[in-house]
Amino acid sequence: MSIARQEPIIRFERASFGFPGVIALQDISLTIHAGEFVGVIGPNGSGKTTLCRAVLGLMAPLEGHLHIFDCACEELRCHHRAKIGYLPQKGVVDRNFPVTVLETVMMGRYGALGLFRRPGIKDREIAMDALAHVAMDGHKDTALGHLSGGQQQRVFIARALAQQPKVLLLDEPTTGLDMTTQHNVIELVQHLHEELNLTILLITHDINMIRSRVDRLVLLKTKLYAAAPPAEVLKPEILREVYGKDLVITEKDLVIVEDYHHHH
Amino acid sequence: MLDLFTYDFMQRSLLAAAMVGGLCSVIGVFVVLRGLAFVGAGTSHAAFAGVALGYLIGWPPLFLAIVFGLATVWTTGWVEEKGRMKLDVSIGILYTTTMALAILFIGLMKNYNAEVYGYLFGSVLSVTEEELFVIGGLSVLVLGLILLFSKELYFIAFDQEMAEASGVPARRMFFLLLTLVALTVVVSLKTVGAILVFAMILIPASTAYQLTHSLKTLTLYSMAIGVATAVGGVIISAVCDLPSGPAIVLLATALFFCAVFLSPKRMNRSSPAHSH
Repeated sequence: MSIARQEPIIRFERASFGFPGVIALQDISLTIHAGEFVGVIGPNGSGKTTLCRAVLGLMAPLEGHLHIFDCACEELRCHHRAKIGYLPQKGVVDRNFPVTVLETVMMGRYGALGLFRRPGIKDREIAMDALAHVAMDGHKDTALGHLSGGQQQRVFIARALAQQPKVLLLDEPTTGLDMTTQHNVIELVQHLHEELNLTILLITHDINMIRSRVDRLVLLKTKLYAAAPPAEVLKPEILREVYGKDLVITEKDLVIVEDYHHHH
Repeated sequence: MLDLFTYDFMQRSLLAAAMVGGLCSVIGVFVVLRGLAFVGAGTSHAAFAGVALGYLIGWPPLFLAIVFGLATVWTTGWVEEKGRMKLDVSIGILYTTTMALAILFIGLMKNYNAEVYGYLFGSVLSVTEEELFVIGGLSVLVLGLILLFSKELYFIAFDQEMAEASGVPARRMFFLLLTLVALTVVVSLKTVGAILVFAMILIPASTAYQLTHSLKTLTLYSMAIGVATAVGGVIISAVCDLPSGPAIVLLATALFFCAVFLSPKRMNRSSPAHSH
């Protein structure tokens, strides 16, 4: 796709984030366009979650600017936040929380509804539609705690979709899932990207899982090292600089740890 | 026994118990789900310090109970939000400090004051008509606010950061919840006392938690259990000539253990949903 022609919806302009004395992200200049599928990678502590919190409007820049939907981050109001569907890291939510699948997805409507307005039939239809998109509509009355890890991720993706977002922000959506379920979750995300023309921002450690699916990879380690198509980012010299010398690329374009490569 | 219900004091007690039981059990749902159990305990002791100060300096005790209760929950919420200290540690410090203040204020009183101890242990059978109006007014206020903001309060109990990220004013809702906890504690002081009000908040919601997986059903069950145990406890107290506070709480506790043993959650635990 021709990214340059699309409307820019998230713009970091020399933005730094963190707390006074602790810089988590420094001097970031990055533009995400509508309809893009962007993977965000980097080692632990590289600022991926900070980037996520910044895009969600939970963190204003210490320096520089962040514009989301042509609105400065410091002014990001409720109705703008509702345009960003968010899937938090697994393990944040209590598995035994007494809530049904439909009640969970309905929560996605609350931000868009605003205070004082009750969810109506239309909101329920939107929630059911979101559940159908993730193939969980048959479980609407099931307790969330009775679902498997993969099913719960689908429900949380449906909750994000119920916001009718323009952007889907997923923070390590495959962590803690078995290999088949990881694959299914990523396939679902790609399907939603294509079917609903959603802008996807996917934070992950699994480079190999997403490299063939994303338009661009954003490589972070406090600073922005690269933001380009995967083939331009996944180069030995760039990876070595960010991850250390142990990471190599195999003949089949898989990114693996060097020791593993030698032993096999 | 039916003669008992013809007495004015008994009718007032039953009405007060029903209102306090319903109110505590509804706010208890959010307290249990958001993990604020210890905040309830801390607030009730802080409110008691306010009552003691009121009697010492001749100010309205319930007014100072509200001031002490709100100061405690807001300080706790502020400390948690700033991430400076874990919630249970900050409330533990305030809990013991306010209790020390309560003992100090009682010690400074020239004479023994039985009314102060009424707020510590509860005396629902001596609730006056004026107190009934105060309980009724505050109950309507608290339940009205819960009803008005129920969807936001459920969401922050589930996941506050997710709620914030979705556009819900989660921070303001968290402070509203803390405020409602403080008001509920103050409303309930005279009826069940500072020590036992915490049980009234915690036990009905925890009992309902054993019985359902739905948020709405949980709230309805909790309210039904709260009202039934409060009214049942007052009747037992009057019939068997027992103190009312312990009668209510022990009845609620008995029901809680029945729910734990008969919980459908325990029976369903081995049968998760299958597919995908």
